[in-house]
Amino acid sequence: MLGVEISRELSESAETVYALAASPGFAKDGRCFAATSGGLYRSSDGGSGWKLLRLTDEAVSPMAATAVAVSPAFAQDRALFAAVKGGILRSSDGGDTWFAAKFPAPPPLFTALVISPNFARDGFMLAGTMEDGVFSSTDRGLNWQPWNFGLFDLGVLCLAASPHLPADETIVAGTETGLYRSTNGGRAWRESSFPSEFAPILSLAYLDLSANGVGETLLFAGTEQNGLFVSGGEGEGWHRIAPEALPGSVNQLQILRKPDGEARIVALAEDGVLISRDAGQNWDYRVQTEDPPTAFLVPKRSGETMFIGLAGKGIVKYDF
Amino acid sequence: MSEKAPFYSRKTYRPGLVFQPQAHENIKRGINTLVSAIRPTLGPTARTVAVTSLIENKSSPEVLDDGGIIARRVIELHRRDADIGAMLARALICRQNERMGDGSATTAVLLQAIYNGGLHYLAAGGNAMRLRHHLESALRKALAALDEQTYFVGGKRSLAQVAESICHDAPLAKLLGEIFDIIGAYGRLDIRKDHSRSLRREYIEGMAWDSGLFSRDMIVNQTDLQTVYEEPALVLVDSKVNDPRHVMPMLEIAVEQKIEKLILVAGDLSAGAMAGLMMANGKLKNFQVMAVRGPGSNADERAAAFEDLAIAAGAQTLVEVAGDSLKDVTVKHFGRARRGWASAHNFGIIGGKGDPRKLRAHIRRLQSWLEQSDDPQMREALQKRIGRLMGGSATLWIGGASKIEIDQQKTLAEKTASAMRAAVSDGVLPGGGMAFMSCRGALEPASQSGADPDERAAHRILYDALAEPARAIFENAGYEPGEVFARLAREDNGAGFDVLSGAITDGAALIDSAAVMKAALRNAALTAGMMLTIDVMVHHHTPEIARQPG
Repeated sequence: MLGVEISRELSESAETVYALAASPGFAKDGRCFAATSGGLYRSSDGGSGWKLLRLTDEAVSPMAATAVAVSPAFAQDRALFAAVKGGILRSSDGGDTWFAAKFPAPPPLFTALVISPNFARDGFMLAGTMEDGVFSSTDRGLNWQPWNFGLFDLGVLCLAASPHLPADETIVAGTETGLYRSTNGGRAWRESSFPSEFAPILSLAYLDLSANGVGETLLFAGTEQNGLFVSGGEGEGWHRIAPEALPGSVNQLQILRKPDGEARIVALAEDGVLISRDAGQNWDYRVQTEDPPTAFLVPKRSGETMFIGLAGKGIVKYDF
Repeated sequence: MSEKAPFYSRKTYRPGLVFQPQAHENIKRGINTLVSAIRPTLGPTARTVAVTSLIENKSSPEVLDDGGIIARRVIELHRRDADIGAMLARALICRQNERMGDGSATTAVLLQAIYNGGLHYLAAGGNAMRLRHHLESALRKALAALDEQTYFVGGKRSLAQVAESICHDAPLAKLLGEIFDIIGAYGRLDIRKDHSRSLRREYIEGMAWDSGLFSRDMIVNQTDLQTVYEEPALVLVDSKVNDPRHVMPMLEIAVEQKIEKLILVAGDLSAGAMAGLMMANGKLKNFQVMAVRGPGSNADERAAAFEDLAIAAGAQTLVEVAGDSLKDVTVKHFGRARRGWASAHNFGIIGGKGDPRKLRAHIRRLQSWLEQSDDPQMREALQKRIGRLMGGSATLWIGGASKIEIDQQKTLAEKTASAMRAAVSDGVLPGGGMAFMSCRGALEPASQSGADPDERAAHRILYDALAEPARAIFENAGYEPGEVFARLAREDNGAGFDVLSGAITDGAALIDSAAVMKAALRNAALTAGMMLTIDVMVHHHTPEIARQPG
């Protein structure tokens, strides 16, 4: 195993970690969040200690949080969003107090939250659900509307926004049976040519091929059993890559861009985290875990810090 | 008893035959007369045409700016020889308007130019049949050149631009741009009159049908006058449920399967069967059922609706012609949805739990039928089915200051929506007549160095005709066409002339629907070619054909 394990938190509570998110200013404020089966946790010291946040007035046990997202302008607006069963909670003070948005019954089960990179101006968010498709909000998570026109499969497992979202309004949704693409900010969806026999799609990520982040893009799709696929940014013409390195499930993808413009893709496989420096052609293990990993996070500008969430074993932090 | 005045009559013609050169000249006169009435309506600065009302007691004339409607209002010309030419042109223009919703004035202008050019050549000794043959060859080249220029637009702003080029109404275009950005080429759009003074749009999630509850007693929410079920199961039976005992197996399965909400969609329901369901609602704990009338006004529509519902919800319809009835229901017949709702007149489901792969394949099949069908009613029915299955629909509410304004705006919105569908599915072309101008390069070689004089003539005729739509647009806006053409000649390829601002623009700033423009060119050229081959006209004695009703 590469790197040094420096802390193992939340392990006593045997939580399963569904999602991790960090403040864009993590390097300075050390703020990161974990959505787990036991509720939403916050760390204010770079992941060394975690505190369970009180999301609602729950008297008995905390609510499971299935997704978490942090505003790109967190330093200014302190906005934070957590998905719980039946609703999305928003906080505008970094997680101390929470307000719930209303959703139609039956209560949706959220799988993904996406925040516009231009959130400070457009207040735009999307949420994917297991049975109700996609909900969108254009008022900073206050009100949500279902936007499922053309989305025939309402079992949305993951969402990804184009790196040029404010300009091209492109969003992709991975579902149980295929991939859908919207070019109008999620208002309407068109089926992509992704081969449906390789679905479900568990993870999606856009990679901008240019160093300055304004060029052509590649779209990566991680599947439940059939490894990793790639296509042009238009979501057409898919082919499988690196079947030896990634033979099975690819649960999560993250694009890292170093200050010099070099891009890396990080993928969460069944037994650890792999990294590619050549647009997905070759992969090396970054971390191999004994327990099944469920989520990971490499905070921006964090040096070489990585958090890995484990099934029933909390979070492990690595500093390389 | 005094004889009533004729409501509408043709003059009684004497029978006779008309030969050349009178036949050609009179057809030309007919075309020119009709097209002269339509030509002023071409372009964004369309002028209007006043048409006397056909109805005797309606004194005010209609003021029209739509070439298709103007053509429809011209019922006959005074001179019977010219009338034949005018009526052939009228049929073409009306067909373009009905099928494409736009481009009727362009069709008229192209027809006139091609026919007149062809006639000029025939007068000089050309052969009509050979000219027609070469016109068709030149047409193929022009259409191929249009294909090369075709591109697709997306995004509400670009689509609003397309809409505005069709309707020349900015508020309407903005709304239609947004709507078509969402519903795409196949989505369902209802255009309805509204009591308000403005335009508004509404989006409805899920699939809805124009068919409601069998009994108002099943309405739960008396405020909204509808019943909404969460996670309902659905049972579909296309026949009448007569025997109250036949609902029992369905209720037993529902209880066994711990189904709490059930929607029965049936062809019809007897009072006894309804009583059985109402009793179940009262007696069974944690169970509610509502019965909805099967959609569709005829057998075909009903079968289609049941098929769509079954695929969307993952149900199996109990089909009468297959010998099924409700008493045969098993677990496999039950479908599911995330939500279901019904009122006295409508019902719908949201988040049907059928197999998305089957739903996609079903929609593709319907889209394929739509593309192959020429029957307007069949196309409309298929369009509705596809739109419904796409998972939502849009409604555009048309308001206005008066009933006349609302009616006119609704007609304009329907026409624009029809052309927008074509633009979204088949792409767009540079507008303002510039796409036709750019095609001329494809015809130039054959028009100058073709081996056959008829071939050269045909290409030259179409070459000249392709400039006519732009010429008419410039003239209608008050510009001298020669001057504008000269300005355009100094610009790069792809430049256009915006008659509203009087400036040379990028061609992409002006947009036309590709399908509409291609249909206009194809129909005009083929019809003109056919009309050029008419050598003799035969007139029958025509009696009065109608009198005032009553």
